[in-house]
Amino acid sequence: MEILIYGIINSVQLVLMALGFTLVYGVSRLPNFAHGALYVLAGYMTWLLVNRVGLNYPLSMAVALVLTGLIGAAMYHFILVRVRGMAISEIIASYAIGLAIIEGLRWGGLKGGTFTLPSFVEGSVSLLGVSVDYQRLIVVVAGLILVALLWLFVSGTKLGLGLKGMAQDEQAAMTLGIDSDRMAVVSMAIGSVLAGVAALVLLPLGSIVVEAGYRVLIMAVAVCVVGGLGSWNGAILAAFIIGFAQILTERYLGAHYQIVVALLAIIITLVMRPSGLFGRQKELEERV
Amino acid sequence: MFEAKGLMVFYENMLALNNVSLSCGENRIIGVFGANSAGKSTLMYALSGLILDIQKKEEMAGGERITVRGDVLYFGQNIKSMKPSHRARQGIVLCPERRRIFVESTVLENLKIGGYLANSRQTQETIEYVFTIFPALKRLSKRLGGFLSGGEQQMLAIGRALMAQPKLLLLDEPLLGLSPVIQYLLAKAIKEIRDQRGISIIVSEQYARPVMPIIDYGYILENGASVVEGTNKELMDNPDVKAAYFGS
Repeated sequence: MEILIYGIINSVQLVLMALGFTLVYGVSRLPNFAHGALYVLAGYMTWLLVNRVGLNYPLSMAVALVLTGLIGAAMYHFILVRVRGMAISEIIASYAIGLAIIEGLRWGGLKGGTFTLPSFVEGSVSLLGVSVDYQRLIVVVAGLILVALLWLFVSGTKLGLGLKGMAQDEQAAMTLGIDSDRMAVVSMAIGSVLAGVAALVLLPLGSIVVEAGYRVLIMAVAVCVVGGLGSWNGAILAAFIIGFAQILTERYLGAHYQIVVALLAIIITLVMRPSGLFGRQKELEERV
Repeated sequence: MFEAKGLMVFYENMLALNNVSLSCGENRIIGVFGANSAGKSTLMYALSGLILDIQKKEEMAGGERITVRGDVLYFGQNIKSMKPSHRARQGIVLCPERRRIFVESTVLENLKIGGYLANSRQTQETIEYVFTIFPALKRLSKRLGGFLSGGEQQMLAIGRALMAQPKLLLLDEPLLGLSPVIQYLLAKAIKEIRDQRGISIIVSEQYARPVMPIIDYGYILENGASVVEGTNKELMDNPDVKAAYFGS
């Protein structure tokens, strides 16, 4: 029972970490390797706003999310747009931005376990005989709400439909007046906000450390590679597979195998089924 | 309203379009005919602006060098360096070759994505119009695009292009790979769209027979150059065209 409950919680955590990455890649074919850095940055900005500026907690979170979204959009608008279409350069550029943010924060004094965000609600509850703290329940609820909101957004709003069209066939979308660069900016903004949301609900479980940036990036990449790059359903399924695999190894082998599981999942996927569970990279084009 | 002057397109040193000029007045249907590799699709890319996107992608990926020369005039304005999405905003909408519908979206969602440029009233009205000219789509509105037959996909692709409120609709090989019955049905629908909505249409096609009767004026492309042009009657009476396209 413990495995089931903590498996679900861990899986939803992975969904949260990966959602932004997969959205950006799905819409713009842009691997945002600064994803993990944006995660840490959102958490740190919230901490600063609460502890240095003195805003209250919910307002700080909102401001930090907006700022994270703007930073993501600016990253595309000023830097990534110049290397758009050069796959290797896109990775190098976004990873370099990520490194600059993460190592900049480290240099700026973000180290050790002294930076923490408070839980939304303190305490814990017993669920089917397993003790779970409220923050972990909030993680699951937030994950569900986020996926639902995202679904409503892409199928109910004009901008969302534009993103969906762009994700499926860029050129066909262009001929309908959907602008590729504009959608890329929007997807980067939304993807960054999603990284921020993940940070805000997950960081109260521990402390804000720069290493989380790398860990989140690896988890996001693992989930997206296993699920098939750019596939949202695939990412969610993959998050659950990796999530449960991690909890099982943690139970029977040791906690430090978590990251090994994620990396092994990438390797196994690349060997067995390079396009991932729901990938469309290798799909045969219809011939007429 | 729309005119292309001296269009030349090179893929590296290969000449894909050689000094092609064409014009399309308001409320007209223009046909562009030619065999495989005659340059029909390249022409459509150049008219819709997709060539600029392809050119940029090739350049960034270190692929083929694509060179475009010539002018594209639209209501007197030279739009040769305008992005495809901006051309669509101005009313030039391409319905691409092989349909390229959104296979993971339902028929209705495909139409809604097509309505990106339209306001909600136009969206409603155009969806209803698409369902009246293609009643088959109405029954299938909840089905995923990938599960439609070729003919249904083509109807959807044309419908989706109409959603973008075009003034000039570019149809790139709309009859490709379809049965003769569907071909005639689509040709009839294309004429209806012009008659009922006042949309000008440029249609490229390899197989001229179903399309020839509905066009006002046509061009024959061969090896990237426009070799014959004329009204549909002139083209049908031309012995060379007759031999090549009507087999009689």
